[in-house]
Amino acid sequence: MVGLLEIRRRKTQFALIASVFVLIAYLVMMINGLGIGLNQLAGSALLNMDADAFAYSSDAGRSVIRSELSQETVDSIQTAPGVDESAPLAYAAASYERSSGSISSAALIGYDPGTIAEPTVIDGRALTEDDQHGILADTTFLDESGLSIGDSLTVRLRLQAVELTIVGEIDEGAFFFQPAVYLLRSTLIDLKYGTALDGGGPVASVVLTQGDDTIRSGEGFELVDKQTAFDNIEGVAGQQSTVQALQGFGYIIGAMIVGVFFYVLTLQKIPQFGMLKALGASNRYIIGQLLIQVIVIAGIGIALSLPLAILTDRGLQSLPDSVPIAFTTSMFVTTCVALLVTALLGAIFSARQVLRVDPIIALGQQQ
Amino acid sequence: MTGLLEITNLTKTYGSGEQAVQAVRNISLTADGGEFIAVIGPSGSGKTTLLAMVGGLLTPTDGKITVSGRDIARLSSSQLAEFRRQSIGYVFQANNLLPYLTARENLLVMRAIGAGRGASKERADQLLNELGLEKRANAAATELSGGERQRVAIARALMNDPELVLVDEPTASLDSSRGKQVVELLIEETKARNKLAIMVTHDLDMAVKADRIFEMRDGVLSEHTG
Repeated sequence: MVGLLEIRRRKTQFALIASVFVLIAYLVMMINGLGIGLNQLAGSALLNMDADAFAYSSDAGRSVIRSELSQETVDSIQTAPGVDESAPLAYAAASYERSSGSISSAALIGYDPGTIAEPTVIDGRALTEDDQHGILADTTFLDESGLSIGDSLTVRLRLQAVELTIVGEIDEGAFFFQPAVYLLRSTLIDLKYGTALDGGGPVASVVLTQGDDTIRSGEGFELVDKQTAFDNIEGVAGQQSTVQALQGFGYIIGAMIVGVFFYVLTLQKIPQFGMLKALGASNRYIIGQLLIQVIVIAGIGIALSLPLAILTDRGLQSLPDSVPIAFTTSMFVTTCVALLVTALLGAIFSARQVLRVDPIIALGQQQ
Repeated sequence: MTGLLEITNLTKTYGSGEQAVQAVRNISLTADGGEFIAVIGPSGSGKTTLLAMVGGLLTPTDGKITVSGRDIARLSSSQLAEFRRQSIGYVFQANNLLPYLTARENLLVMRAIGAGRGASKERADQLLNELGLEKRANAAATELSGGERQRVAIARALMNDPELVLVDEPTASLDSSRGKQVVELLIEETKARNKLAIMVTHDLDMAVKADRIFEMRDGVLSEHTG
């Protein structure tokens, strides 16, 4: 009662604290959104693949870029114990020309139609085995390139230029910080290696597998689960560490700011707390009122920061070169709960001060 | 003979060894409901220390204080808080109202902190009426005059229907006319409710209105007779 009444009667004072918390909550949400956006850019296409595990060549250090599998190794993987379904996948990075004339890069992913590696088409049609020069373009690729279904683009790889036609649109995400484009594996292997190796060279970069208990190493290959595969994408580990550090600092600073504000308020109210204790208020009651104030202020701060973050995201996405920020419901929920918890932790110092208040202060005496 | 309040050989010593100071020395007193007691003495005589011990705010060094047969000197801090909440009404020297609450809300703080015995909104309004504050019930504490604030403090002290009302220098921040009104009101309200009231004051003109007058000097209590 007393805590809530004080907020209502001292609106200006508490509004100032709440406004600072709005900024802290907004900052933490933007950092979290940046973390998710960067992860999506790094390899959402990999995370969206319909696989339990990924097989790399054993000498690749779990790098899709460096992994090269022969037909023999692919066969070994596909017949390994526990593997129910599997599909070889090829990868290459290539440059292409946007409709605006500028040069950009895309992640080319080669797959076999009818396998677990085949992406889901959301517009247009799927590739068939006859579509040697057809591609499925991810939504992000179409947005960035300015192209649409039916358009052709020139892809450059290994000093060669190849014209490919967009036949369908998919929504699988990005790979290696590049928008993804899917084409027949045979086409990509030709593009990547040419005919110089005459069928004796690599036929895939990795193999996707489905099945229980497939994680193992074999002759010339290594199987890892999907999360491990994602974590080993070049740059992801460092990026995640950076984002996590920023998140951590955001929470810590938020807790400290709330803690300092309420600590100062508590110090100012020591005579009042002493008087309340003299009247017979328990420590539990006084600290309870303090925590209610923290929850209300943090709640208001979080509630106001949410639409701010959403509006900022919409604004950023409308820019020509969109910023990699993405929000999810679970991220919002987690962030809100974490901010509330850190605010309460920040109030611990105030609670300790309340415990130390001597009610004799209310009588104006010193012991 | 047992009374509502019994103080036996009460002592309070600050510090130790050569630095030790006895603020209260071996005091004994028995008092009952319906009595209005004044304790006078100069500053530093120990009268507020005595009041604080009776109100469960200070632990005695030695001796016993029983209120309705309960030895409060042996209670834990949470038990003392409960004791103050249920059995003590305090009127502080500086009234100590919460400035951001109204007159009524300052009374309802007693309900909020868990004081029982009907510390309700109805009781708050009844007390405000009796003390002539019905028109000021919704005024913020900062808008009240000094005399009004003291009356609100008196009403707050009676909200939990306490056994014991302790009053610390109620006229300190008031002019003589208002001070006289406040003391007369205190006497009227506590006697009407058969409460035992102890008022600490340095003002002899106010003290003479009490049923019993004690003088405190250098920690020693003596009763004025006649």
